Amino acid sequence: MSDLASVLPVPPRALPVQRRRPAEALHLRRMRIEASDEELMLRYGRGDARAFELLYRRHRLPLYRFLLRQVGNAATAEELFQDLWMRVVNSRGRYEARAKFTSWVYAIAHNRLMDFYRGNGQASFLSHEESESVLEDTPAAELAADLRLDRKRAVERLLAALVELPDAQREAFLLQQEGEMSIEQIAAATGVGPETAKSRLRYAVAKLRASLGKES
Amino acid sequence: MIERGDEELSHIYRDAEGPRPPQRVDDNILAASQRVASTVRRPAGFGFSRRWGTPVALAATVLVTFTLALMVFERESGLDTMARKAPRTAQPAKVAPPEPKRTESSPPGPPRAASPEKSPSVDLPRAAPPAAPSPQAATRSDRVQQHTVETALSGERRATGQPARLPAIPPGVEILRKSEEAKPLPDAQRGFDAQQPIRPAQAPAAAPAPGANTLRESASAPQGAVSGLASRVTASEAKEREKWLEDIRRLKSEGKATEAERELAEFKKRYPDYRLPEDLR
Repeated sequence: MSDLASVLPVPPRALPVQRRRPAEALHLRRMRIEASDEELMLRYGRGDARAFELLYRRHRLPLYRFLLRQVGNAATAEELFQDLWMRVVNSRGRYEARAKFTSWVYAIAHNRLMDFYRGNGQASFLSHEESESVLEDTPAAELAADLRLDRKRAVERLLAALVELPDAQREAFLLQQEGEMSIEQIAAATGVGPETAKSRLRYAVAKLRASLGKES
Repeated sequence: MIERGDEELSHIYRDAEGPRPPQRVDDNILAASQRVASTVRRPAGFGFSRRWGTPVALAATVLVTFTLALMVFERESGLDTMARKAPRTAQPAKVAPPEPKRTESSPPGPPRAASPEKSPSVDLPRAAPPAAPSPQAATRSDRVQQHTVETALSGERRATGQPARLPAIPPGVEILRKSEEAKPLPDAQRGFDAQQPIRPAQAPAAAPAPGANTLRESASAPQGAVSGLASRVTASEAKEREKWLEDIRRLKSEGKATEAERELAEFKKRYPDYRLPEDLR
């Protein structure tokens, strides 16, 4: 038992958790490794608060970054983030493991973002039309050589370009990067067809690449 | 799906220093989740009741239905009435002893404490010489009531055919009784009216020992009513005994030796532990 505990990986960042007994800590570690997101959510639905803690620990950073990159404001992102997790908490009894937890939770995030955009009168997300010309003008997979060397500059350019992206394209890119979702999952989370999701992602990637390829 | 160039893009994106949610947001969310989970948590017996609730309810329903059906069936077939009649007829013979016969002089409603069923401790299997009655008890001689008590006691004895069961007498009480036996009778008790006729046959076959009664009543102090009654019984018993002895003396003096012997024998039989006076020994 102790050997197994020593082999188990340590979480990347430990949340402030109350001191636990060794058996309980071992159970938590096993659950952290073995249990899927869906299982954890179902356990939380049955009243296991530790399952939710693990779930939260797994997804808090990607979800927060997703929201922050989308709205561009930390205070708003925090509000949306908190509201998103409260929706997860309140949906514990209705959750069914039909789809991946990430698809479900990012769908909630997407809907929350839609509400936010509508409330702020930002209709660009819904009416944006992708420009084929931008896609065609951008050379594929060609990044400036100096940017490969200077990662810090590359990151800054990429983040700046990300802000400039249309909301739908940025969302598709963020869902892919933060949520590690496939085209189908992105389509399911955002409520569009796979082709639309694929198109948005392609435009986003092409524009970001183009921004990195430009000499500042 | 992700091309090689896109992978490079991903690497660059992930090199970006990831913003983190503030600590207070983490705390708020986790606290809310735990608060909700604690309300969701069910009591320990919930699973058991959910699992066994339905079968137990069904079994209870079947049992009640069967019992009701059986009762209705019994009532209709008459088994129930027969079963009820049987104990009803047997009940009086089993529970209630025969009511003691009241003499003509006994009042219609004797005191409740004098009932033999209610005060079994009044009777004793062996007679003992009477203890010296207290002056108060001697002066308060309610003859009618005493006679009723006597009759009731003897009646109980006749009904049961054996001495009434009594709780064990404490050793201290036994010592007291023996010391009382050794005491001579007081003079005041000996001198009584000799005009009363001798009625040994009317005396109860085995009257309770008055001295023992007194001691017994003193041992069971809370029964105040029974104690007073017993003292009265003792006084009347002593008087009756003295009358009897006086009659025997008179028979002797009149020359009726046979009758006197017979009466004396009867007296000894009646009071075997009584110490006879010198002139009658």
